[in-house]
Amino acid sequence: MTPATTPARFLDPELLGRIGSLELLARAVVEGFMSGLHRSPFTGFSTEFTEYRQYNAGDDLRYLDWRLLGRTDRYFIKKYRADTNTQCHLLVDTSASMNYAHGSSVTKLQYAQFLAASLAYLLNRQQDAVGLVAFAEKVHTHVPARNRTGHMRTIFGNLSLLQAGGETHLAESLHQLAEILTRRGIVVIISDFYDQPERLQESFQHLRFKGHDLVAFQVLDQNELDFDFTDPVLLLEDAETQEQMPVLPDVVMTGYRERMRKHVEEMRRCTAANNVDFELLTTKQPLDFALFSFLSRRSGK
Amino acid sequence: MSFLTPLFFLGVAALAAPILVHLVRRTRARRVQFPALVFVRQVPQRTIRRRTLHNILLMLLRCLAILLIVIAFTRPFFSGGSAAKDNAAAGATVILIDNSLSMRREGLFAEAQRRAESVLDDARNNEQVALMSFDKRYTVLNRFLTDKNRVRSGITSLAAGWDGTDYEQALRGAESLLTEVETTGPKRIVMISDFQVPGWTQATATFKLSNSTQLTTLDVGGNSPPPNVAITNVEARSVVFGQKYEDNLVAHISNFSDTPKDHIQVDFQINEQTVEKRDISLNSRDSRAVEFTGFNLNDGANRCTIEIHTGDFAPDNRFFFTLRRETPAKALIIEGASRGRSDSLHLQSALSADDDLPFAFTVKSAGSVDPSSVADYSLVVLNDAGPISSALADTLVRFVNAGGQMIVSTGPKTQADSFNASLQTILPATLREAVQTKAGESVAITEVKFDHPIFEVFQESGRLAGANVIGYFRSEPRANAAVLARFEDGSPALVEASTGKGRVLLFTSSLGPSWNDLPLTPLYLPFIHQMVRYAGTHEENAWYSLGETFTVGKQKEAAPPAVDTPGGTRLSETRLTPDGDLLVTAREPGFYRLRYNSTPGFAAVNIDGAEGDFTKLNFKEFAVGVTGGAGSAEGTEANRNASSEEVEGRQRVWWSLLFVALLLLLAESFLARRTKMVKMIG
Repeated sequence: MTPATTPARFLDPELLGRIGSLELLARAVVEGFMSGLHRSPFTGFSTEFTEYRQYNAGDDLRYLDWRLLGRTDRYFIKKYRADTNTQCHLLVDTSASMNYAHGSSVTKLQYAQFLAASLAYLLNRQQDAVGLVAFAEKVHTHVPARNRTGHMRTIFGNLSLLQAGGETHLAESLHQLAEILTRRGIVVIISDFYDQPERLQESFQHLRFKGHDLVAFQVLDQNELDFDFTDPVLLLEDAETQEQMPVLPDVVMTGYRERMRKHVEEMRRCTAANNVDFELLTTKQPLDFALFSFLSRRSGK
Repeated sequence: MSFLTPLFFLGVAALAAPILVHLVRRTRARRVQFPALVFVRQVPQRTIRRRTLHNILLMLLRCLAILLIVIAFTRPFFSGGSAAKDNAAAGATVILIDNSLSMRREGLFAEAQRRAESVLDDARNNEQVALMSFDKRYTVLNRFLTDKNRVRSGITSLAAGWDGTDYEQALRGAESLLTEVETTGPKRIVMISDFQVPGWTQATATFKLSNSTQLTTLDVGGNSPPPNVAITNVEARSVVFGQKYEDNLVAHISNFSDTPKDHIQVDFQINEQTVEKRDISLNSRDSRAVEFTGFNLNDGANRCTIEIHTGDFAPDNRFFFTLRRETPAKALIIEGASRGRSDSLHLQSALSADDDLPFAFTVKSAGSVDPSSVADYSLVVLNDAGPISSALADTLVRFVNAGGQMIVSTGPKTQADSFNASLQTILPATLREAVQTKAGESVAITEVKFDHPIFEVFQESGRLAGANVIGYFRSEPRANAAVLARFEDGSPALVEASTGKGRVLLFTSSLGPSWNDLPLTPLYLPFIHQMVRYAGTHEENAWYSLGETFTVGKQKEAAPPAVDTPGGTRLSETRLTPDGDLLVTAREPGFYRLRYNSTPGFAAVNIDGAEGDFTKLNFKEFAVGVTGGAGSAEGTEANRNASSEEVEGRQRVWWSLLFVALLLLLAESFLARRTKMVKMIG
């Protein structure tokens, strides 16, 4: 009866990438994820009680009505109604730096698309209103949060049309969004967060000030963390500025890793300081892992 | 710097390998788009520059190592002393260039000049350089100079000569010249020659260089001397008095090569007309005497040549000499008055037996001689003349002092006291008592100087002692007289002395049969002929050696004649003897023309026949011989390869090069490994 706390299987993003439709992809991820959880698909993080239903195997024992069991000696699960007032905005960074992939066919933007689609599907199933915002130098796509039939197609359609390009001005974009998103809700930011943590901290504070719950997914390629190149010499080109730089990987690697580690640590510190849920994801990691991580963190709130 | 095996320089192509590796690795830099360049940029970029320098350093180390290995394989060595020539003390060098006859071989002397200029080029900037040429003698062309251009012009102005070679003399001169220079640096003699055997003989060598003098020998003669046949000598009597040359004229021809020579045609020419031809063959290293006789001669000087046709080194294929046919001079035989048969019968008979004697004789008794006519004769023979008048005695004294020749013999008619008194000033010995042996006894002529021209014909037979002497005068030779033979008791038998310009021979026994049996023996004729010839000898050679000085007499003219060289140049020699004769030094082979007003004369000059022997000197013996074993003949190029190997073997530069290359490779390996470690740690 003890529910599993780890997913039964993880879906490889590369494999998912072969699925042409984001909707199908999101469904595969979420349904697989849900069955893997061995939890009721009807549970959510809303708190409004609606009705009882009979206990079925696999239901979370936390929702068993112990009082009713004591009085009637029957097993009933408390059923809660989803909080349809909750809005969730998915913010996807489409700057040129998100177009990077090393050693796999999935770019960071693709991964972000998969993740956003999966989250949208998941949230939609929970009757939450889902919105989409895509930005690079500035916000270029904005789908307001809705919870009606067919809205997911709009989300998926916009998601699938996203192209990487332009420079990142993440902090400015977040400030801009803080002004745009007037109704408070959950804001999920999917980006590589190549900006100064100090500036990001200000934008997080701005969003938090507007009453949003923030979730930050930092999506990176594994090689961005490892800097593992076999070439003795490389001519690295900045994806956004096209600046070129000759580099000796074996020499630069140590210093780079150290700086990248510090950056991630700084991100963790500044998100924690602003009560922002932060998760570092690499494009190699399965999407359901990301969902699991997301739900685990949200369930604590 | 020279190289023993320069072909290994082809290995320099291997330098392409590290360069190519460097370039190939350099071009492999891949362009990759990377989003997090901001963090890469924060890594100090000097590492990249250091790596670039590091890679270039690695490439240079590899190239240098390969280059050093290649150079080591070429086995370099320093020749001459050109290394670090500007840093060490400059020192002094004498360049000795052989300009002897053998250097006239094709291209040899030009090569010697080129090598001398190389030595000059290699000399340090402030090194003092002197230039000497040598054959049998040495000539200082430039004393020590630092002006290389002047020395160079001296080298250019040199030409090969005609004389033989004497290395010892040249080294002696060079070392003597080195004593003139004051330097703390090394003193060096660079001898450039074809180094032939005749130039130095170990057996007779006496000179050794001092320990402080370094000898460098540069051989331009090559290791395989060309074959050569040469006429090395001609033995001839230069003056004859008959039409026919009755003696044997001997030409010596030598084959200096290791291969036999057949059908060598030998031409004998007189006044450019071929007299006789011979065809001879010579074995390897063989010599042969070719004799000619019985040919006719014209009056006066005859230019004679012996020529061989071998097609090899030309200068020693012709030999020049002169044969002069003269009219016999007048000679007077003065005998004592006698009745019946003349005392000079045997003497006369002996003298008339040969028409090739330098004199035509007249016999007169002492009383019948007109003293005033004595001066017409060239030779006077006092044949047991007995007492002579004081006038005749005075005339004879003047005759001898003026250059006349006189032969005096004693006998029963000779009175020692009056003889001594009247002819004391010209007689080579003072007569003492007459000695008569006992009946049946005799004394022999002993202690004969067979090396004297009179007795040299008896040298081999030694039969002069066979004459029996029964009467003679004891005598006491004058201070400057030479005793040519003695009797058994030690008393002089034949005494010679020069007086004034003339000469007197005194035979203390008789030239007739009265005191000895010489006239009755076969010894008499040659004895008399040799004495007469000796008395009539002119000091004239059939030929002279190059470098020899000969006298050109005035003869009956007021001044010596003009002299033309074989090349046709008029000589400007002005050296005269006290008698006014001209002294000429032979500088050129051929006939010197003596332009007398009456009839022209000739003097033949020949090269040193041994100079045609081009056999290579034994360098080890030579080096030990002239340095005393303390020094060495460095840079020797006889067996050039072997010697270069020796020099290279001594220096072993390749060891150092390989060692440095090894160090470079170790350094390269360390640097390369360090790079790898950095990569692994990273």
